[in-house]
Amino acid sequence: MEAPPVTMMPVTGGTINMMEYLLQGSVLDHSLESLIHRLRGLCDNMEPETFLDHEMVFLLKGQQASPFVLRARRSMDRTGAPWHLRYLGQPEMGDKNRHALVRNCVDIATSENLTDFLMEMGFRMDHEFVAKGHLFRKGIMKIVVYKIFRILVPGNTDSTEALSLSYLVELSVVAPAGQDMVSDDMRNFAEQLKPLVHLEKIDPKRLM
Amino acid sequence: MQREEKQLEASLDALLSQVADLKNSLGSFIYKLENEYDRLTWPSVLDSFALLSGQLNTLNKVLKHEKTPLFRNQVIIPLVLSPDRDEDLMVCITRADTVLEQKRQTEGRVPVFSHEVVPDHLRTKPDPEVEEQEKQLTTDAARIGADAAQKQIQSLNKMCSNLLEKISKEERESEGGGLRPNKQTFNPADTNALVAAVAFGKGLSNWRPSGSSGPGQPGQPGAGTVLAGASGLQQVQMAGAPSQQQPMLSGVQMAQAGQPGKMPSGIKTNIKSASMHPYQR
Repeated sequence: MEAPPVTMMPVTGGTINMMEYLLQGSVLDHSLESLIHRLRGLCDNMEPETFLDHEMVFLLKGQQASPFVLRARRSMDRTGAPWHLRYLGQPEMGDKNRHALVRNCVDIATSENLTDFLMEMGFRMDHEFVAKGHLFRKGIMKIVVYKIFRILVPGNTDSTEALSLSYLVELSVVAPAGQDMVSDDMRNFAEQLKPLVHLEKIDPKRLM
Repeated sequence: MQREEKQLEASLDALLSQVADLKNSLGSFIYKLENEYDRLTWPSVLDSFALLSGQLNTLNKVLKHEKTPLFRNQVIIPLVLSPDRDEDLMVCITRADTVLEQKRQTEGRVPVFSHEVVPDHLRTKPDPEVEEQEKQLTTDAARIGADAAQKQIQSLNKMCSNLLEKISKEERESEGGGLRPNKQTFNPADTNALVAAVAFGKGLSNWRPSGSSGPGQPGQPGAGTVLAGASGLQQVQMAGAPSQQQPMLSGVQMAQAGQPGKMPSGIKTNIKSASMHPYQR
């Protein structure tokens, strides 16, 4: 296998140099209702949105030390919706002045034969899971509250099992690089969810 | 004169309708209290109170309206008193200079308009007992010197502010500290587990034998053991591990992992393979 077709460098130039600002937290099952109520009060006035997604994470091993990762996501409750291919760069913690985790991100809508395409390119599936939960928006901020389910039989999304007794809560903004001001808004919003949920910038490397 | 009279009529009508409304809501509230007390909820009681208070407010507004003449300037005197039962209850009322006849149904509450009931119904002062009590209080108040009164006012104020402080302190505590120790709404360990799961599939089913620890973390030894040690997640690993020997893994990958043979146990596989990570070069 040759070197991966896409480098680990952030995609620069053009309009696709987008960064995702991220804060994460969790809420126990029994407090989900309170959180949903609070979010409905805080967020844009819209119909409550739910989702049920199947995410597959693909790896491509090259000459570099670390493999290249792409995430493919499809909606299980909305037939006909496009698949979602996502590249996420290395998360940067930044200093105290930036209140959110930042990582490069590229989002693309694709057709449903995405997995075949990736396999042909040499990608191999690393892991998969089912995400089921609620989606809220406030301006450009996106708040997702969802439960992660393990898939017991590979490729069979019918037999799943909850990973934990909590819902994952993510507050994210996708913005052009350098717009660190958005993290201030995110911090303010996160403050309003305390003490129900503590949204923090969590370095995933710390959890290895 | 004609105009004043009309105004009086109009304001009386307005007053009557307000009082009728108030009476209706009082009646329905009493009915509710008497007949539905077993399934009455506090919010609905509060609703009734709010309705009554609103209607009393409107009544006050009608009374204070600038177009309403001063009713206290009007005099009402009974012209006919009779000990006999009066079916229609004809009440003749003289108001100041004009005589007005009104036929009023009292809904069976006042069958006779006699010497006995008139003082009650046309009373403009409080009951004699209440008047007596009020007089008592007034004399008591007059007896206390100005200094003593001032002192009492001060001590009352002090007590009130103390009480307020206590209440607000209690509120603050129950809001800040009281909520969390009693009822945990989130679990940091769960947060970490979930974040690790979405970030690099930790705890999720890894179909690949290499125990790949995800992007950018090459050759992280013992990812599996770390996981198994995390509280409450052992079963995650146990359930996930056996499926690692699913036919999903290709022979190439097996070779890369350096474990081509059959594994005795899923967990062991994971640990071993993690330490012999294919990305570790």
